[in-house]
Amino acid sequence: MKSSIEPIVGRYVNVTVGNARQRIYFEEAGQGRPVVCLHTAGADTRQWRSVLNDEAFTRSHRFIAFDMPWHGKSLPPEGFETEEYLLSTEIYMETVLAFCRAAGLEKPLLAGCSMGGRIALQLAALHPESFSGFIAIEASDFQPAWYDIDWFHRPDAHGGEMGAALVSANIAPQAPDAERWTTLWMFMQSGPGVFRGDLSFYTSDDSLVGRLGSIDTRRTPVHIMCGEYDMTCTPEDAQRTAAAIKGSSLAIMKDLGHFPMSENPSAFRVYFKEALERVTRVPARLMDA
Amino acid sequence: MPRVRNLRQRLDDMAAALERRPHLLRLGRLFNETILIEVDQDEFYLTFEKGRVVEIKEGPSKKLPWRFALRAKGDALLEFWQPLPKPGFHDIFGLVKYGNGSIDGDILTLVKNLRYFKEFMALGRKEGFS
Repeated sequence: MKSSIEPIVGRYVNVTVGNARQRIYFEEAGQGRPVVCLHTAGADTRQWRSVLNDEAFTRSHRFIAFDMPWHGKSLPPEGFETEEYLLSTEIYMETVLAFCRAAGLEKPLLAGCSMGGRIALQLAALHPESFSGFIAIEASDFQPAWYDIDWFHRPDAHGGEMGAALVSANIAPQAPDAERWTTLWMFMQSGPGVFRGDLSFYTSDDSLVGRLGSIDTRRTPVHIMCGEYDMTCTPEDAQRTAAAIKGSSLAIMKDLGHFPMSENPSAFRVYFKEALERVTRVPARLMDA
Repeated sequence: MPRVRNLRQRLDDMAAALERRPHLLRLGRLFNETILIEVDQDEFYLTFEKGRVVEIKEGPSKKLPWRFALRAKGDALLEFWQPLPKPGFHDIFGLVKYGNGSIDGDILTLVKNLRYFKEFMALGRKEGFS
């Protein structure tokens, strides 16, 4: 009988980002080429549960997914009780880099979804030397909000429940009910103001637009993926972004929305297999040598 | 006007289906509002009390007050009610984003009751009408 204990193991690592000491939770599974996985706004590493449990992937890759500070099992920093949580591109990049250093990861692949995909592309432009390739899922240069982010943090309503009801718009109707509701549960559990603070970064910082042309895919391959039912990062948004990154590849995913690895793992795995293959190329500098 | 009759029947069926969804009655227990659903030129004023639809009035009317309105193109709403709607037709906000509908009025009341209202609207799909 197959063991019911999953291969995923969770631990904590302490890092300093800016002036804040952050105790970051991460979980990992597999062995081989390291892949750091980033969750979306208002959620946590559990979005990656199926990839980390998929032997077809973990046989050749070591997946490490971490909860951003304020998310999942990573606590907010000391003094959070008087702080307005507002994520920024700089803090987000610094957190990813600090995590990779503290976890002892050398040039991992970076796979991020939604705001995680956005920051993956920012890192592809500004810190490519720290990674071996980028998989940007439901990611594009910029989308302004089609909703009022202040809805999600107010004293007279439950931000998590409202956030979940809103993001359900981005889940494809083909998603199995069990995975759909597990995906929404993470938003319902999100801490007060956290989804709003993530969205503040995601919907207001358009600095990536002018940087896409500087991404060198000969050094670090970039693969972009987008679900056809994603209304936040639409296939058109992803196509525009891929067109601006010379040498990048793009997959529009059928029957999937904005949380593909979580909302419908069996539909996603075909596309993720292709993504891992596409970013597993011999880097140009080795070929030059 | 056969189209209007069909829509009225569908809304009546959705109201009846609500009665068979204990979780929706629980989620909507504080929802006491009249809302407007406008399909093409046809207006329907749905009055909810404690999560139940207690009355549906057909317009047009310039007198009936409503809290928020969902206005949609009829063919888009029919696609929304398909078992597996096409991208952009799968959610009421998709109808709005792609120009097939609009939402106005007290949006915050809608957002506070968003899961309840979306699941109510989706009952037209679950009842299996074409």
